Amino acid sequence: MTDIRIANVSRSFGSVVAVNNITLDIKSGEFFTLLGPSGCGKTTLLRMIAGFADLDGGQISIGGRRIDRLPPHRRNIGMVFQNYAIFPNLTVAGNVAYGLKARKVASEEIATRVSEALALVRLQGYGERWPHQLSGGQLQRVAIARALVIRPEVLLLDEPLSNLDAKLRVDMRGEIRELQQRLNITTVYVTHDQEEALAVSQRIAVMQAGQIEQLGGPREIYRRPVSLFAASFMGMTNVLPGVVAGREGSQVRVRVGAVDLVIADAAARQGEAVTLCLRPEALRIIAPGEAPSTGEARLEGTVTNAEFIGALIRLDVELRGGTPLKVAVLDDPDSRATPGSTIVLAYDPARLTVFRSGAA
Amino acid sequence: MRSLTVAPLARLPLAIAIIAFLFLGVFLVYPLWGVLSASVLSSDGTTFTLEHYGKVLAKSYYRASLINTLAIGLLATFVTTLIAVPLALTIARLDFPGKLLLIGLAALPLVLPSFVGAYALLLLLGRSGIVTQALNAWGVPFGSIYGTPGIVTVYALTLYPYVLLPTLAGFKAIDASVEEAAQSLGSSRLRTIWTVTLPIIVPSILSGALLVFIETIENFGVPVVLAEDKPILAVEAYKLFIGETATNPSAASVLGTLLICLTATVLIIQRRYLANRRFATRAGVPSPSNKVRGSWRIIGVVYCWAVVLLALIPFFAIVVLSFMEFRGPVLHSALSLKNYGELFATAGGPLRNTLLFATLAALATVLIGTPIGWVLTRTRSVWVSVLDVTATLPFAIAGTVLAIGLVIAFNSGAIVLTGGWLILVLAYTVRKLPFTVRTSSGILHQIDPSLEEASISLGVSPLFTFLRLVVPLMLGGIISGMVLTWVTVASELSSTVVLYSGPWRTLTIVMFQALEGTGAGTAVAAASILIAVSLIPVMLAYRLLRRYELSML
Repeated sequence: MTDIRIANVSRSFGSVVAVNNITLDIKSGEFFTLLGPSGCGKTTLLRMIAGFADLDGGQISIGGRRIDRLPPHRRNIGMVFQNYAIFPNLTVAGNVAYGLKARKVASEEIATRVSEALALVRLQGYGERWPHQLSGGQLQRVAIARALVIRPEVLLLDEPLSNLDAKLRVDMRGEIRELQQRLNITTVYVTHDQEEALAVSQRIAVMQAGQIEQLGGPREIYRRPVSLFAASFMGMTNVLPGVVAGREGSQVRVRVGAVDLVIADAAARQGEAVTLCLRPEALRIIAPGEAPSTGEARLEGTVTNAEFIGALIRLDVELRGGTPLKVAVLDDPDSRATPGSTIVLAYDPARLTVFRSGAA
Repeated sequence: MRSLTVAPLARLPLAIAIIAFLFLGVFLVYPLWGVLSASVLSSDGTTFTLEHYGKVLAKSYYRASLINTLAIGLLATFVTTLIAVPLALTIARLDFPGKLLLIGLAALPLVLPSFVGAYALLLLLGRSGIVTQALNAWGVPFGSIYGTPGIVTVYALTLYPYVLLPTLAGFKAIDASVEEAAQSLGSSRLRTIWTVTLPIIVPSILSGALLVFIETIENFGVPVVLAEDKPILAVEAYKLFIGETATNPSAASVLGTLLICLTATVLIIQRRYLANRRFATRAGVPSPSNKVRGSWRIIGVVYCWAVVLLALIPFFAIVVLSFMEFRGPVLHSALSLKNYGELFATAGGPLRNTLLFATLAALATVLIGTPIGWVLTRTRSVWVSVLDVTATLPFAIAGTVLAIGLVIAFNSGAIVLTGGWLILVLAYTVRKLPFTVRTSSGILHQIDPSLEEASISLGVSPLFTFLRLVVPLMLGGIISGMVLTWVTVASELSSTVVLYSGPWRTLTIVMFQALEGTGAGTAVAAASILIAVSLIPVMLAYRLLRRYELSML
């Protein structure tokens, strides 16, 4: 069992509170991501686990053993750094063997374990190369092999993909995820890229200002954000302030500007001020005469701008009364959604997130 | 409870800092305190008094020494800058054959002892100098090089690389697009240099010029050769100290303290000024060498070679002269190795001493300075800033003054060091420490700290990470720093002259003694060997030095 328990951990730098009383349990074998904008404390928290940032208070234990007072070189943690931190004065094999030599492993065993580790990251035969002969993606693999070869209890990755170009980033994240599942190693991953976090993680902690804003699985965090910050950080969203206007059976109408939107929140009270979040892709275009599917509500608006970005078309739509709305639809050559045209949109009220004003 | 424990990663820096503070405290701060207190305590050492200052400054001779030191320093700095900036501009912006060789030769005066340069000037243009006598024989009148003109000439010719190299680096760091922007906005090429280029590199020029200024204020060797009756602070402090009893060196301490105040003021001004004026244009594409044609191009190339060769001629002359025979101070044009024979016949072997001291001091400086440099770059706290200031302090202390302090501190009491060789090595080590600290922190700034963290997280303790990872990564820089320390220690005179005794004469002392008596032949041989000793390691390590040191100045 190599679960990580973080209890009431804090750290401030001068007057800045980098990590503010965080308590968090990461399960054994879990792929866990700390996600947030720069300065939110995610890297500090990771460096606390690694031992490179001191704790002002609180405890961290791995597999039931308290580690926060251990010097970092005795923690048996594998860490992958943002800029790879490959030792330029050692060959690839020398880099991978570095931690094994520190552990006084016999040289024959070092040789086999190094080649196994290189095979694991698909770098067989690269042992004698020098770091400057490798590409960014290859260096990243060496860094991962070097961190894994010591058989660490947990693997920490600090924005490991941020120095790679976009396409390689997508390939590498799949590889990292696949490797993690195969080895079943408890992994903490730090990133500011929400798409990356959604793609690889089992659970995500969205962080802001040294605290955890929301903790949950990727789908839950994206679809059910608990705060406006979490909603807007996880991807583009429409933030619509409104007032509860009335109730018809199970449907609650919210007046936004000059139009009514339907929400599925039964607890909303008449006259209450609320903020609605609606993801652009939760809206779809229907033909003017077409009836929405059961349970769906409809909206009308004028397209003011259409941005074609390949797989998607991003539309800026103006609702009656001037409320702007962002809509994303899959590319469709027959689309009627050209600037100036009026379109009808359908949406499922269950996909709207409602924040009671004051609570959000 | 928690406040008493030291975080694991802070332990090594703390241990290094404690050792560094101990070393600097005993061999720098305590001796300086000795100088300061000797200048302000009454003769029986009990009461505070300014009477020594009153007495010394009452004499116009010592007031003149203060004024001369400042005036010569300012003049030399001005002339040096005036020579070096056009040189840097030409080298940066003109492509011509042999440019790399020229840059290499232009850096040489950094390692050639200015004291030897002064001595060469004396032999060539002095009262009984070869050139002077030849000119007189032809009936050409020739003025005196003693005093200000000679001193300023030697400073300008030996110190110009201090301005040239940082200015050159400054030119290279200017992004071409900044100048292109100025020209696209309608500024002519000359106007662009004047309104854009120069303002950006002014901090580089000034940092070099201030180094020159400090160097001239502290210098002992050049004025001792060329000043004659003109009083200069560093020389007068030495003369007073040799004349006084070591138990009451009050007058020498007054001059020493004044010297420290001068250099410290300059250093503080430099830090204040330069801290706010670092125009970092994003180091992108350096400006291409322009295709300047015609007469400007010829003038530029001729100017470069003239300055560089002129600076090297005195040293070349010394080597040639060393193979000629001296009878007394008179030179004969017969080739001979007699001078070398005489030099090696002297007991104790000044060459052996010079090599031994330089090696020991270079090793000690690296051993102490590199860890300090590491702490300064990798750790942030109040005591680190204090360490930074303390380790830079020797830079502001003239060799003569530090040596006087060491004698005051270790002439009696618990530790007696005077009369031995160790005190010389200690003085050299303290004096060269700021250089090593600065070099090593410069190298460390280019090494990503996460390399060290990677090593630690792989299970190697901070100490062994430093030894097995950081030191190998720094090795090129460490070695080139060591070579330069070694070379500059070999030609050290200002503290040696105060501290040497009987068997521990160095090559520079041989030359110093020759100034006062006969023995010009051995002195020239010693000077030539000193030149060889300075040049050979630099040539051997030239590739390394180019990569690490020249870019760092």
